Amino acid sequence: MTSATLRREREETRTARAGSIGAHQRRRRRIFWPFVGPALLLYVLFLAFPTVSAVVLSFTHWAGAGGTPVFNGLDSYRELFGEEAFYDSFRNTLIFLVVGGVGTFVLAFLFTMVLREMRGNKLIRAILFFPNIVAPVALGIFLGFVFKFNPTKQGLANFLVEKIGLPPLKFLQPEHVTWVVVGALIWASAGFYITILMAAVDRIPAYLYEDADIAGASPFQKFRHVTLPLTWDVIGIAGVLWTIHAIKIFELVFVLAGPGTYSPPISTWSLGLYVYDRSFGAGGTPQYGVVCACGVVMILLVSLFVLALRRLMRREAIEY
Amino acid sequence: MMRPFPVLGVATAVILGLAGCGGGSQSGEFSLPTAAGYFKTACPKAAVKPAQKQLTYWSMWTKDEPQGKVLQYVINCFTKQTGVKVNVQWLGREVLTQNVAPALNSDNVPDLIDEDVTKMQAAVVAPNGAQSVQDVLDYKTGEGDKTVRDVLSKSSWDFPGNKLSSGKIFLVPYTILTNGWWYNKKQVKNLKPPKTMDQLFALFDASKKAGRAAVSQDGDIDTYNIYYFSQLAERYVGGGGLMKAAKDRTGKSWTSEPGFLKAAQYVERLAKGKYLIDGWDAAKFPQVQQRWADGEADYLFVGSWGPSETREYLNKQGGGQTIDYGSFQMPMPPGATHDIIEQKPIGFSVTSKAKNPDAAKAFIAYFLNKKMLAGIPAVADNLTPRADLPVPADLNDINKAYNDPKKEHVLFQDATDALNGGTWADNVLFPENNALLKGQITAQQFVDQMASKSADYWKSHH
Repeated sequence: MTSATLRREREETRTARAGSIGAHQRRRRRIFWPFVGPALLLYVLFLAFPTVSAVVLSFTHWAGAGGTPVFNGLDSYRELFGEEAFYDSFRNTLIFLVVGGVGTFVLAFLFTMVLREMRGNKLIRAILFFPNIVAPVALGIFLGFVFKFNPTKQGLANFLVEKIGLPPLKFLQPEHVTWVVVGALIWASAGFYITILMAAVDRIPAYLYEDADIAGASPFQKFRHVTLPLTWDVIGIAGVLWTIHAIKIFELVFVLAGPGTYSPPISTWSLGLYVYDRSFGAGGTPQYGVVCACGVVMILLVSLFVLALRRLMRREAIEY
Repeated sequence: MMRPFPVLGVATAVILGLAGCGGGSQSGEFSLPTAAGYFKTACPKAAVKPAQKQLTYWSMWTKDEPQGKVLQYVINCFTKQTGVKVNVQWLGREVLTQNVAPALNSDNVPDLIDEDVTKMQAAVVAPNGAQSVQDVLDYKTGEGDKTVRDVLSKSSWDFPGNKLSSGKIFLVPYTILTNGWWYNKKQVKNLKPPKTMDQLFALFDASKKAGRAAVSQDGDIDTYNIYYFSQLAERYVGGGGLMKAAKDRTGKSWTSEPGFLKAAQYVERLAKGKYLIDGWDAAKFPQVQQRWADGEADYLFVGSWGPSETREYLNKQGGGQTIDYGSFQMPMPPGATHDIIEQKPIGFSVTSKAKNPDAAKAFIAYFLNKKMLAGIPAVADNLTPRADLPVPADLNDINKAYNDPKKEHVLFQDATDALNGGTWADNVLFPENNALLKGQITAQQFVDQMASKSADYWKSHH
């Protein structure tokens, strides 16, 4: 074969290849919209549009039934910020978010420290996940019995408190019930985050731990110097998930702090409950303007916390 | 708020019906059927036969509740006698806010809806969703020439809270809720209803001396906690007085009207005297009223649904424990001039956009026929707006009080629970009242804070 033929062949191959790439991209471009379109349409219709609508409606007064929304400027926000119920809800939501979050993650970290080396850790993980598959409403009703205060027939919690010789506690008093909810949240959510974190821990090469063992590292040192840096990005995501979850907490408060049919006293409310009560609550006229204003506050709160969290967690990714 | 509508099993309902037959059936020639007997009642002839051949009804009851069963029976009778097909949906207690309100934005609206008058006002009437049913008052019920107006107690429908801006009524009642003190005649023997507040507190002291708590109170329900203050305050300021103070944008009424302070002082006495059962504010409804049913406390202030709810509990517990229910009203405090009784009528409304309003109105009149309405006391163990309809024995005392012509009928807490979508009560009245009932603040602090917090509230609300 002469060099000329060789060259020609090479050129032909190149043009053929270039042609096929062009065709491929053209084909890709042709299927782009048919594939993206439906998803985008649904996303815009059911997510972007309602979000924008909520912002618009927050500047109106709207009772829902029969009427049309009437523009009222900042009145909805003025009403929202003029209500004790809103401040109580805001405070409690922050407590759920921060105290509940710290508690959940501390518990999750403790488990990741010991779970890896434990025998039967898959089974324990499954058991820890259990509270997550129970509906929060059922959980709340159940805990209502557990934390019952009745001198003649105490609930399980007070039964145990009395067993160790302490006076029974009024767990479900409006002044205390927020903390009972925080405890319940930590107990119920930890399993979920343990599952996520352990999935990340499982990815870490075993030799790193073996090496740490040889160096005589304690479980905490292994957590601090191996687990934590290598699961950092996953922890960040878990933190974001928690933030979103915590800001819309509703059912547990609704059934644990109140009778479960009507809203409990406002001192126990969360923002989720505020929104529910003002749209479908006991006997009132729906106030969709104020509800949307509260929704906007919640979106801002989530955005703020997520941004802060991302900034706080920003670190160079470690490759391994 | 209250859970006024007991979900009774059929067996219980039968027992209730029997109790009703034995005890309270002595008015006139009509005797209350048993629950089972009610469902064999011959369908009375319809006095009004509408031209419209169907109607849609969205119900506040579920199909299996006693009221649902009664209504289904009446619907069947109505269809049989008039040929009108009733399309009914059993939607339960959130029917107005979750179903009717959103539907009112469309053209797919029910013709007939029901709820208590306060909720109907707030959720449907306020946004112009209901039409006048004033004309139903002149419909015949199928008992000779008797009209709806003739058979219903006037106090059950003729009050400001049941009026459209045109002055016409928007709801025709078929059930009455009222409230009072309950006690077990077997536990508190030979009780004479107290005539003064001191006599009432003497009863409470006697309970404490006997080693029992005086009063059971489900403290996680704001609208239960308000009973004491609203009952007493209304006796000083009368119907509409509490509402007027609530709407006062300056809040000054709370301190300038001496009745509020006096009423609050009795609530303070109730709180500071430790008359409420230990743990009343640390439990979930209905745990504390169940403690009353168990005999731990002597008295319970709740609505006319008290007997059916506690009886349901005792039946489920087994053990055969029963209560012989007695009830009395709050006595008149010194200096009070209004002998009130609180009520909350539940009834039918017709939507503004109803396609079959005539058929809906004919059905309302048909249901109020004595034979049909008898299902409400006989099966559902509730009071009705017909004074000539007997009630089960347990409700005799309270029914007598309700039908006492000398009493001034006032809506539960003067309907302030629905003022401004319920937000005034949630933010101002309930937190302060809870603090008062817990003994955390004095009566004087209560009225002072009501004045300042109410003024604050109205600064940011229209």
